[in-house]
Amino acid sequence: MTRLLLLLASGLLLCASCSSNKPLYGWYGYESAAYRYSKRATPEMEKKLLLEYRKMVSRPKGVRKAVPPGLYAEFGFLLCQTGHRTEGLAFLREEVKAYPESEKYISRIIKQLEQ
Amino acid sequence: MKRYIGLSFVWLMLLAVLPVQAQRPTRTRQFPKMYEEKPASIVIMPPINRTNFVEAKEYFYTTLYVPLCEKGYYVFSPYLTMELFRSESAYDSELYFDGNLAPFREVTGADAAMFTIVKQWDRDNLNGKLRVRAEFILRSTKTNETLYHREGLVTLDTEVDSEGDKPIGVLTDVLITALGTAMQDKVKAGRRCSGIVLSDMPIGPYSPRYGADGNEPAGASYVEVVE
Repeated sequence: MTRLLLLLASGLLLCASCSSNKPLYGWYGYESAAYRYSKRATPEMEKKLLLEYRKMVSRPKGVRKAVPPGLYAEFGFLLCQTGHRTEGLAFLREEVKAYPESEKYISRIIKQLEQ
Repeated sequence: MKRYIGLSFVWLMLLAVLPVQAQRPTRTRQFPKMYEEKPASIVIMPPINRTNFVEAKEYFYTTLYVPLCEKGYYVFSPYLTMELFRSESAYDSELYFDGNLAPFREVTGADAAMFTIVKQWDRDNLNGKLRVRAEFILRSTKTNETLYHREGLVTLDTEVDSEGDKPIGVLTDVLITALGTAMQDKVKAGRRCSGIVLSDMPIGPYSPRYGADGNEPAGASYVEVVE
């Protein structure tokens, strides 16, 4: 009985201490690359950001092992802006597939890009 | 004797855990509308800057994205919505703060809009500390009601090596090298402030813990942190 209680109490303590969560997603170097690109949209910065997107969509990490919300769309939009329209639109559609709640907004973007 | 020691240990461990939970209100009690309305998607509004530091707006705009995604919500990419807000002349959130948010729901489909008011951004030149104060207000695009609200004053020692401080998203060496010390401090300050203040925000549907955090203790509506 004591052993059981000990186990229970240890479990409780463990739960209380590990309430800081593991990341849901793997972000690689996205934050810095995206921020730097937003400040200075040079071809070099663009290349680095595209590389980070590729990592995120090809090797998703974190607890969900999924691409973070909005990332397929961002990647797709940048590809369209840089002349890779077909691939870009495919990623925008991927966003809607992965996150149906994005449909209204992403469909609007797709429509604009297709015009 | 052995049994007595074992039981005492159990009680000590329980006492160490339970008082903390009992003193503070639960998240369900502190943020009842979050649990009633259950927003799943969030659009980040361009921050309202009430400081003299012009760049504070952009430092907060993009740094909110990752912490909110990590909370389990669908978050519209601020890099994409920024374009929308600019083209629709909606870049000044102050105009919409007390207004009807239905148009944002109509255009984006978002359940809620996150407003940020940056109230203080100053540096103490004597000790190098950066003070950032910001208020975060999540409002429903269905009812216009406030679902979540918290304010925080974060004091950061900007001379501290960032290696020891790794919030969600992690400030990488690459960023440190590339942005230079001044910008690094500001990006870090915006991100850290957002991370700390949003730490007790209820969990969204993409987290495996969704729906299970209602009885966890909520933080105070105003928080001061010195790092």
